[in-house]
Amino acid sequence: MTELDDIDGLAAEYVLGTLSREERLTVADRRAVDKALDRAIGAWENRLGSLVETVSPVAPSPNLYNKIRAQIGLSQHVISLKSREQALARRANRWRNAFAGATALAASLAGVMVYRDAIVPQPATQYVAVLDAGSDKPAFLLTVDTKTNMCVITAVNPPKQSDKTYQVWMVSDKMPKPKSLGMMNEPGEMQAMPMQAGPEMDLFMNASFAVSVEPIGGSPTGTPTGPVLFTGKLIQATP
Amino acid sequence: MPPRDPKLENLLSGVAGGDEAAFAELYQATASKLLGVAIRILRNRELAEEVLQEAFFKVWERAGDYNSSIASPITWMATIVRNRALDEARRRVIRPSGDESELENIESGDEHPIAALERAEDVERLLRCLDGLEPEKKEIVRLAYLDGLSREALAARFNRPEGTIKTWLHRSLALLKGCLEQ
Repeated sequence: MTELDDIDGLAAEYVLGTLSREERLTVADRRAVDKALDRAIGAWENRLGSLVETVSPVAPSPNLYNKIRAQIGLSQHVISLKSREQALARRANRWRNAFAGATALAASLAGVMVYRDAIVPQPATQYVAVLDAGSDKPAFLLTVDTKTNMCVITAVNPPKQSDKTYQVWMVSDKMPKPKSLGMMNEPGEMQAMPMQAGPEMDLFMNASFAVSVEPIGGSPTGTPTGPVLFTGKLIQATP
Repeated sequence: MPPRDPKLENLLSGVAGGDEAAFAELYQATASKLLGVAIRILRNRELAEEVLQEAFFKVWERAGDYNSSIASPITWMATIVRNRALDEARRRVIRPSGDESELENIESGDEHPIAALERAEDVERLLRCLDGLEPEKKEIVRLAYLDGLSREALAARFNRPEGTIKTWLHRSLALLKGCLEQ
């Protein structure tokens, strides 16, 4: 007759379910480091697993699936929000650092006034919105410095529009219609605008930003008329 | 190699990719069976449903770890349910009480005749090997695996010292292993 060695006997009883609470905990810990035990347990799970087929099914309460869904939905929501924010912040920081020098140079060559402090400010006061089309390459970057009350919009790398222009919009449910923040076209082009602390800044911080394609000279109606290609919201750049 | 179950394997791989529809289908296909498993061990529907909820949450999180060359999907899922149920049973020291009315319907008829027809080959083989054991030994294996009785509870039930139960168990399991390997 086949005899079970110590490991096999322990594995078999663990799977069978006859061990005491302490023994179960010990085996559960030990299998994590004892590969032979872990394999033996797996083998017994397969040997005895078919017994489950002889158990009569019992229909679960109708709301059980919703409870499970809620548990999953909740944790997913938390994870996805957190990881998306972290990914955006990393990207925003990367682009901000890469473009702080390059755009300053480009802008100064173009004779545009550069608010350096607004581009590379104190970390805790810096907010960034990466306006993209869901891809990894930001088209526009919008930074807000709540210390200097300055907003800078940079056209990072939008696809070239021949006889059209990009127009940047702020969208908020607190406003009857989107507000134009200006028109931009050339990669590296940037616009800086001072803001007022208080309600204006608060509105700005909670708004969404969008970039549409408009005729040269801007939207004729004062609201976006062309396709909205890029969108984004402000997040803290350096948590 | 464990028996293949392409349908459940596909659903599990969908779940691993975060597919909620696959998860819903997997639940539909397995929840009743798995709740049956948990209720047999815990003898309490509320507790068994809690265990099932935790188990499905774990399935959602760990579906990516599933490996069809190690276990069939239902064995993998039933193992998660059984381990949780057994831990809970041992923690609460659930023993079969005199009042088993709640379980009458569940424990009476072993299974539906159609289910017996549809049973896979590996189930048949295990049952044949179990039938090769003396009736009392076979009963002990079934009571342990399906009803979660500990050595201590089995000793009380069969009015034998725990050491004897342990010896019986090891002998029966060795016989089963030998029979299954034939």
